[in-house]
Amino acid sequence: MSLFRFVTANPAGNVLIAFVLLQVTAIAASLLFYDQFRYVSPINIALLLKSMAVIGVMALGVGVLMVAGEFDLSVGSAMTFIAIVMATLVQDGWNVWAMMVLALAMGALIGMANGYISLTFGIPSFITTLGGLLFFRGAVLIYHGPQQLRFEPTPLFRSVFAGEFLVLGVKVSMLFVWFILLAVVLGLILHRHRLGNHIYAVGGGEGAAHAIGVNVFRTKMIAFVICGVCAAFAGVLSTTRVLSVQPGQGAGMELQAIAACVIGGFALKGGKGAMLGAALGAAFIYTISDILILLRFPGYYLDTFIGIFLVAAVILNQKLDREA
Amino acid sequence: MTEPVLEMRDIRKSYGNKLALDGLSLTIEPNEVLGLLGDNGAGKSTLIKIMSGIVPIDSGDVLADGKPAPLNSRQDSQQIGIETIYQDVALVPSMSIARNMFLGREIVNGFGFMKQNEMRKLSMEVLKSAVHISGITDPNMHVGRLSGGQAQAVAIARAVYFKSRILLLDEPTSALSVRETEWVLDYVRRLRDEGTSSVLVTHNLYHAYQACDRFIVMSHGKKSIEIRREDTTIEELTEHVIKV
Repeated sequence: MSLFRFVTANPAGNVLIAFVLLQVTAIAASLLFYDQFRYVSPINIALLLKSMAVIGVMALGVGVLMVAGEFDLSVGSAMTFIAIVMATLVQDGWNVWAMMVLALAMGALIGMANGYISLTFGIPSFITTLGGLLFFRGAVLIYHGPQQLRFEPTPLFRSVFAGEFLVLGVKVSMLFVWFILLAVVLGLILHRHRLGNHIYAVGGGEGAAHAIGVNVFRTKMIAFVICGVCAAFAGVLSTTRVLSVQPGQGAGMELQAIAACVIGGFALKGGKGAMLGAALGAAFIYTISDILILLRFPGYYLDTFIGIFLVAAVILNQKLDREA
Repeated sequence: MTEPVLEMRDIRKSYGNKLALDGLSLTIEPNEVLGLLGDNGAGKSTLIKIMSGIVPIDSGDVLADGKPAPLNSRQDSQQIGIETIYQDVALVPSMSIARNMFLGREIVNGFGFMKQNEMRKLSMEVLKSAVHISGITDPNMHVGRLSGGQAQAVAIARAVYFKSRILLLDEPTSALSVRETEWVLDYVRRLRDEGTSSVLVTHNLYHAYQACDRFIVMSHGKKSIEIRREDTTIEELTEHVIKV
């Protein structure tokens, strides 16, 4: 497949171009004005790779679910709730590996609950999971209260999920490795596996998928579970990275994850999107964030910028969709 | 005499307290095109949905080749050899031709991963050799970008590839150009000669008269008349549909 065709035919094509342009510009600017803008410094690159992983993992799950034509707004607060349960149990002396498995199982269960309620009662998942967002935000405070919580994993656990190794003088975090690994695995499932084919079908034409014999309920439930497990895994990664949980840390992350997918070329009505797009969307947002920090903009500028890119991405995608 | 491909006896179906099918019986014979006619609400769509396995019956018997056959899911229906060619719902517009052709029946390896090259190759082969529709050159093309006739050709190609014995065509011509309509009706006749029967639901009596061998006019969930083409004229058929 030619590069041109890949870029025009792939839903991730636009974000790929935008991402490359952003990188070229940032790298060129950094090489020209290295003292003022240290984008290409090993420290900055290491930080960038590390920081995008958590939202990236979350965005991959949200993306799978968006392809199936559903939303999950609860991922941010569910992630925090799961992380807090995991951290308190580890403090109580439970094995950290077992508690990680428990965390992932909780993610699956929350995804199942979101899916089951939405699908059996015919409620838009946007509403069900908005309920989930508020429920888990409250549940965190009921379960633990507003104070920060320490997470004390074994050194091995820490090095498996948040360790670092040197590649060409840059410290690459294991968080980034897990993010890329998950993107590849989910990409293979979504784009090459029968299950992925069914996920596209239920999102792109639920009636047709049903009429042809695809089990719509089961397919969507699996997508909800994938999304929940990704949120839980994002919680494991973020907690292991900073060795603590802030009860308020997940707030707004669900919207960033959806923004990453939309920038990455996912259709809000379902049936369209690629894992590459979700990954690049998350990378794009964190590159912008990084650039703003390096240029010493106050933190709140980030949301404003993401807002602009979000709307621009939707307009661009729609325009190209009509012309293709 | 050969057994009917599909026989339905005394089929009843209601939605809540609304009776959609009231003891309807019919047969679909080998090598025939059956026209299902009647005004809106006569029960035609319900009947088609029952035959495609997506709506379960309340009571009644279904026989395939003379033997009792369950009809509770799309898989049961596919087992009998029934393929739906719905105007709007048989295809997913945002997916490629090849993926649509094999949706729900993907060619996969032992791990469930799709053999996409094989699926692409087979789709094009069927479209080129059996269906002869112009303008489809790329199996990666999204179905949403096809014309109505081309999309219908993809659905028909699917039926041909999976060797369906009965095609269900629900208003197949409503979104087609005159030329495409001719093509579809013609193709249904050709498939009939090759051994695939069809059930054609349409409001257009001219199309029905052109393509069908036998007609069933429905009214209020019942069969009001059943007549062969050689025993009637299009004027008489029109009378029957309006009268009931």
